[in-house]
Amino acid sequence: MIKLDRRLILNFDWTLFILVLVIIGIGLLNIYSTGFSLTDLRQTPLYIKQLQWVLIGLVGMALAFFIDYRFLSRHAYIIYGISIVLLLVVFTAGYATRGAQRWIAVGGFTFQPSELVKLTIILALAKYFDHHQTGRVYHLTELFIPFLIVLIPFLFILKQPDLGTGLILLILFLSIVFFVGLDWKSLLIAAAGGLILTPIGWHFLKDYQRERILTFFSPERDPLGSGYHIIQSMIAVGSGGIFGKGFLKGSQTQLKFLPEQQTDFVFSVFAEEWGFLGGIILLIMFLFLILWGLKIMIHSKDYVGAMIALGITMLIFWEVFINIGMVLGILPVVGIPLPFLSYGGSSMVVLMTAVGLLMNISVRRFILQSS
Amino acid sequence: MRKIGDRLDGYDPGQFKHKFKLLFIIVAAALSLLVMRLWYVQVIKGDELRQRSESNSVRLWKIKPMRGLIMDDGRRVLVDNQPSFDIVLIPNRTKDIRKVIERIKELYTERSLTFPSLSSLPDRVKPFVPVLLERNISMEKLAVVETHALELPGVVTEVTPIRQYLNGEMTAQVIGFTGEVSREELDRSTAGKLSPGDIIGKFGIEKFLDSHLRGKNGAEQIEINVAGKAIRSLGRIPATTGDNVVLTIDSALQEAAWSALGNRAGAVAVLDPRNGAVLALVSSPSFDPNLFTGRISSGDWDNLSNDPRHPMENRSISGQYPPGSTYKIVVAAAALEEGLITPETTLHCNGTFELGDRVFRCWQAKGHGNVNFHRAIVESCDVYFYNLGKMLGVDRIAAYAQAFGLGAPLGIDLNREKGGLIPTKQWKLSHLRQSWQMGETISLAIGQGFNLVTPIQLANAYAALANGGALYRPRLIKQLESYDGHVVKVFEPEKQGVLPVRPRNIQLINQALWGVVNEKGGTGYILKRPEQDVCGKTGTAQVIGLPQDEKMRKAKRVSAAFRDHALFVCFAPYGNPEIVVAVILENAGHGGSVAAPVARKVIDTYFSRKKMMQTQQPAKAQVAAADVRGTPMP
Repeated sequence: MIKLDRRLILNFDWTLFILVLVIIGIGLLNIYSTGFSLTDLRQTPLYIKQLQWVLIGLVGMALAFFIDYRFLSRHAYIIYGISIVLLLVVFTAGYATRGAQRWIAVGGFTFQPSELVKLTIILALAKYFDHHQTGRVYHLTELFIPFLIVLIPFLFILKQPDLGTGLILLILFLSIVFFVGLDWKSLLIAAAGGLILTPIGWHFLKDYQRERILTFFSPERDPLGSGYHIIQSMIAVGSGGIFGKGFLKGSQTQLKFLPEQQTDFVFSVFAEEWGFLGGIILLIMFLFLILWGLKIMIHSKDYVGAMIALGITMLIFWEVFINIGMVLGILPVVGIPLPFLSYGGSSMVVLMTAVGLLMNISVRRFILQSS
Repeated sequence: MRKIGDRLDGYDPGQFKHKFKLLFIIVAAALSLLVMRLWYVQVIKGDELRQRSESNSVRLWKIKPMRGLIMDDGRRVLVDNQPSFDIVLIPNRTKDIRKVIERIKELYTERSLTFPSLSSLPDRVKPFVPVLLERNISMEKLAVVETHALELPGVVTEVTPIRQYLNGEMTAQVIGFTGEVSREELDRSTAGKLSPGDIIGKFGIEKFLDSHLRGKNGAEQIEINVAGKAIRSLGRIPATTGDNVVLTIDSALQEAAWSALGNRAGAVAVLDPRNGAVLALVSSPSFDPNLFTGRISSGDWDNLSNDPRHPMENRSISGQYPPGSTYKIVVAAAALEEGLITPETTLHCNGTFELGDRVFRCWQAKGHGNVNFHRAIVESCDVYFYNLGKMLGVDRIAAYAQAFGLGAPLGIDLNREKGGLIPTKQWKLSHLRQSWQMGETISLAIGQGFNLVTPIQLANAYAALANGGALYRPRLIKQLESYDGHVVKVFEPEKQGVLPVRPRNIQLINQALWGVVNEKGGTGYILKRPEQDVCGKTGTAQVIGLPQDEKMRKAKRVSAAFRDHALFVCFAPYGNPEIVVAVILENAGHGGSVAAPVARKVIDTYFSRKKMMQTQQPAKAQVAAADVRGTPMP
């Protein structure tokens, strides 16, 4: 399975690799900045911890690069199954903070299996659609099994409760379904079903999740909770202006109000210190990363590679869009990290591994030959 | 399965090219939306927001809710709220926190006031999160801090409601106290329920009903200028006041029991046998719950937690004592029900009972002579019950004891209730890995040995006899009301079981219990009063050692810690009982002479007040209820 092929080196996707490293570097600087004014000598600074995760992520990336993605795809359902088992472990042996049970501890590190599931359902869906190619659009009945693939982890993750990750899984599924195509009748039925299910789903949400959605529509509903986040986040971003306050200079101000400043609201720290120009540059880098992913998708030499590339690219796209949209107050506050910038090991390792897979597909287009 | 090779079949590498365009448009449109929004926030609104961030800061004030009141059965307020002044420090308004604290200390010392040594400043100080320096300060200190405000940048006084426990030590273990939520409690709570700095119930009813009493935090977003002045409110959610709790406790009885115990270690449990309402629940020694309303000083805390007399233990529900002769009703009921004796069965007591080579003594060394069932209880003849114990065997006694509600927690509305212990052959085998000895059954029959009961269990068992056989769950909570007086929930009596004893046999036992107090020779005869008929049973529980050992008896007279516990359980009036009282006094001697007067005082209080109430017009107690809320906070 691991063949050290000279062609792997010759055709290595340096653009993707360097682009991602640059974004990760920006993220590390940014996390350094959030912890700058907090003096707590007993604990390892967050940026050091994040750097450790990046190193683990590099290992994941290398593994995902060298193992032929078709080998991974062949075992996609097993990999998917393992990730579901890990999700179950969270409930029995999981580690809870503030009422949400999302983590399992491995050695000194804690890990969120729900992040891993984002990648494993991409592999599982890619394999499924590869095996069930129709050459035409799909009917609703044909989508039952892929829906089940997403629904099982979705329900577990909702139970943790982690609305953001659950939402990402659904959006990933919809993105892939729209991409492979759906006939009009099925689309209408699915839309109607969604409309009917929304009030039922509302019933199953936790109080604080409902509150967040309501707060999105009127932030003053909840000045104590997420409404407060939005207002504080807007002040921080806005005060950055065109050129920003400069590195380490923004941290003295408003952001110490934000409990999630290293994680979900990390973009407001960045925007405050680097301003509109910094924001534009970061967004352009993400745009470039996404386009590069799509390019890898269309140049893939096989169907399954294209589907995996699509899933990974869409994952990055939606996380970037929803996270920054949330920080800028145009989307509700849901817990979704900003790829490569938010503090959090699981997300970093999984995304770097995903990028390794992208490079894998990218390089093997020079190795595989179509008939 | 296909082999992984480098050659592929049936895939057109260009098949997704047309979809690439569509995806590209979606992605570019979405990111453009973000860019436009970023432009709006940072460039168009930028100046305004920058100004807000530089000159003004937004602070979130938590509006603490008022905790619900706790009232007694007659709606007398037992716990209310009082304003307390705390000094807090807002870190971002001062350069050097330690310097400011030093300055406060200096100002205090000049006026010979003391500053409590802060156990520790938080490891991590967040610029806008206030740090509490001193809680509940005196008016003198308040004046010092306020007049020197300019020298103390960042120091602010805050007004918060604190609990005031009007009954103090008397009801301390029942009502409990509150305190600031701990880190562990925060981690255990579900999201959004608790936040740092919240005051929650830590003990007693305050803890048991915390979710009802606490209310809900409110919040206000206030914009503050550089000088630290509030400029405007950006939004406010008022706090929700917690529910009021009406207890079944009758303060007059509580007071009577508490003062009757005096400084002696012991417990009193008083029940209404008709419905299981707990009328009084006293444990002595006690502590002052008002110590906990501020930050308790470490000295006070050490004193309380290391006190060998365990003032924080609620002995009435978690003190486990051998029941002594009060246990004889269980053995008596078992022997009658099992048909081993009739009321006429007469046994001879010459002061001793022999089993093999062991001799068990009656408390009356010269013996009771010929005694029947009635006299055996009235005079508490040990030999009579040694015989019954031998006939019944340990497991049959245990079955009846459990049916009387002994050996397991009753489920009273408090945490930390203990279950006591009712031994069986199986229990001894599995816990001590020894087989049961017949001699142990003999001791057991007079309530000695492994047996342990709590005062509330004892009261509950006698309540079941008093009401003709019904076992109720002891209830402390009568009802919950919203702060404006609407009834939220009423707690009804909960019948948990029925004694497996026929009414005729219950009648026989009750007659004998009447005799204990009202017949010549009864162990509780000193309590006889002409006004009402009290039924009761005395008990004297040996604390350690084999009860028959002469040497031990002598030793016990010497050392206070080894002296007998005195017990007395009674109910009144005979025929239609309204009140049950169980009293335990630790290491105090004989039940009849020491514990019974305590019970007597409670019973007298109950009936004298009842008489008063009957002569008066129906009391105006209901009216007073509406305006007993604590002073609203400014």
